[in-house]
Amino acid sequence: MTQEIVALPTRRPLDVSSLPIQGLLRLVSNSRVQLALAILMPIIFLTIFRSVLPLPGPLDTNLRAMMQPPSIEHLFGTDRMGRDLLSRTLAGVQISMFVGFAVAMLALAVGLVMGTLSGFFGGVVDRVTMAITDIFLAFPSLLLAIGLVSVMGTGMLPVVLAISLSDVPRFIRLQRSLVLTLRTRAYIDAARTVKASQFWLMTRHIVPNTIAPLLVAASIAAANAILVEAGLSFLGLGIMPPEPSLGNLIRDGQSYLEQAWWISTLPGVVILLIAIGLHFLSDGIRQVLDPRSRK
Amino acid sequence: MLTYSLKRLAQLFVTVLGVVTLVFFTMRMIPGDPISAMAGDNLAGAALDKMREQMGLTEPLLLQYLHYLGGLAVLDFGNTVTTRLPIIQLILDALPVTVSIALGTIFLTVLIAIPLGTLAAYMAHKGHRMLDNAITGVAMVLDLMPSFWTSLVCLLIFSLALGWFPASGTVNIDDPVQMLRRVALPVLVLSMAQIATMARITRTSVLEVLSEDYVRTARSMGWSELRVLFRHALKNAALPIVTVIGLSFGNLLNGTVIVEFIFTLPGIGNLLVGGINSRDYQMVQTLILFYALIFVVINFATDLVYRLFDPRVQF
Repeated sequence: MTQEIVALPTRRPLDVSSLPIQGLLRLVSNSRVQLALAILMPIIFLTIFRSVLPLPGPLDTNLRAMMQPPSIEHLFGTDRMGRDLLSRTLAGVQISMFVGFAVAMLALAVGLVMGTLSGFFGGVVDRVTMAITDIFLAFPSLLLAIGLVSVMGTGMLPVVLAISLSDVPRFIRLQRSLVLTLRTRAYIDAARTVKASQFWLMTRHIVPNTIAPLLVAASIAAANAILVEAGLSFLGLGIMPPEPSLGNLIRDGQSYLEQAWWISTLPGVVILLIAIGLHFLSDGIRQVLDPRSRK
Repeated sequence: MLTYSLKRLAQLFVTVLGVVTLVFFTMRMIPGDPISAMAGDNLAGAALDKMREQMGLTEPLLLQYLHYLGGLAVLDFGNTVTTRLPIIQLILDALPVTVSIALGTIFLTVLIAIPLGTLAAYMAHKGHRMLDNAITGVAMVLDLMPSFWTSLVCLLIFSLALGWFPASGTVNIDDPVQMLRRVALPVLVLSMAQIATMARITRTSVLEVLSEDYVRTARSMGWSELRVLFRHALKNAALPIVTVIGLSFGNLLNGTVIVEFIFTLPGIGNLLVGGINSRDYQMVQTLILFYALIFVVINFATDLVYRLFDPRVQF
């Protein structure tokens, strides 16, 4: 059994590269991750298969069914143009998921590279990087995104870039601090004594050990990006109608709050569910990947 | 302490200069210039050039930048492009609204979150996991609710269904009762998110303190549980809590923009959204800068307070 090897003290905290299936199994057997999957999976499946479901398209208007409250026919009701809100919400979820994933990956990739270089080489590179991150961190995140979107314009790409730009400094900081603590470990010195190159040290000994905390941060960043995108779209600065996004759906319903409560409230419940799901997911990943938190 | 403060102040200055530079040059990267964005199709040719001249947009970029810095030093942010009013005046008019929302939120948050967090910590310490789990769970959900959605739900319940608070209407700082009724819901909404964070931090730091020896000593001296909890445990757990109040200010600023927009309160956030919608870049630039400055200065103050009150931090 390979189980016995797992118990050796020399095992690295994370070895995703060599044991993807085992790692995945350990992840799925965590109760937090299961809870997260129970919340997220139905939403993801509905979103993926929404075109096969018996739903009107997100942009199909039906003037005979305007502002209808939730019913069997329209589970989330309809809006002022008779568009089916469940269908629009699912289309919005697709955008949210994309934004969340894109921002998390972009911020993780840039943060990984720049944070590693900054922490590993120190000196001028480090000082300049830190000064720049300081400047970006001086803005409250939503406000930085608002400022950037007002410059870059609305739409999917500017929104993803704007939110990533406010997340990247946090990832750089995180990665840098991880690298700084790893750099002084004895096994790095050991590798140096056998003349390991800088590149080898970074890619083989340092970066793999920083992946776990970065993944945790990435899942939090994804949840956060979904909330910020919704906030921007709500203010009319993100994804623009008629393209549905969870934020602009809620904005649409704002003027009809009294007559049609469902337009604004139901898409919000979905945002909340996604955010809770991602929160549990990050908690679960942390528990599984960080050996210190395991009891 | 003094040398440390001065060093941090110098750092702060560099950051602020960086922020100003970033904002200035980013705004200059907009295709076209503020004038053409503002004028749209209404003005052309000579009239546009004249306005550019007036606003100094024909000067070299570096000179414009220096002029801009000079203006900032004397709090001259220029005029709004659309209404030609001095921006500083608009900000000063809107500031009391935003400040009262922010202070109200901090007050309500502290009032609810600290006892709640302490209670959760106490329950966890005593092994009553049920209540602790309930408080932590509710705090998590509150934390993740998007504030614009919470605002609308609160409007729906408290204004439209129950009619307790007006959903819109004028805001008059001189009329405290009316002001309170207008600001109550936004403050409630913002507090909900802040309470979550603060209750969680309170719980963690009180829980940590509760297992300290001096708490056990206080108990063994026969003090009542309440006294031990509040006089001994909470007092020593206060520092991280104060720090979090300072650090969560950024979130609070994010939130004020949203609630001012929804509840149509004439604060800084509403100015910002208005500025973006009317493509008044001068205004947007100034306000983003303004928010960043508030945020940086508060972080700076939090750091100093932390070091001032924690005897363990060495210089």
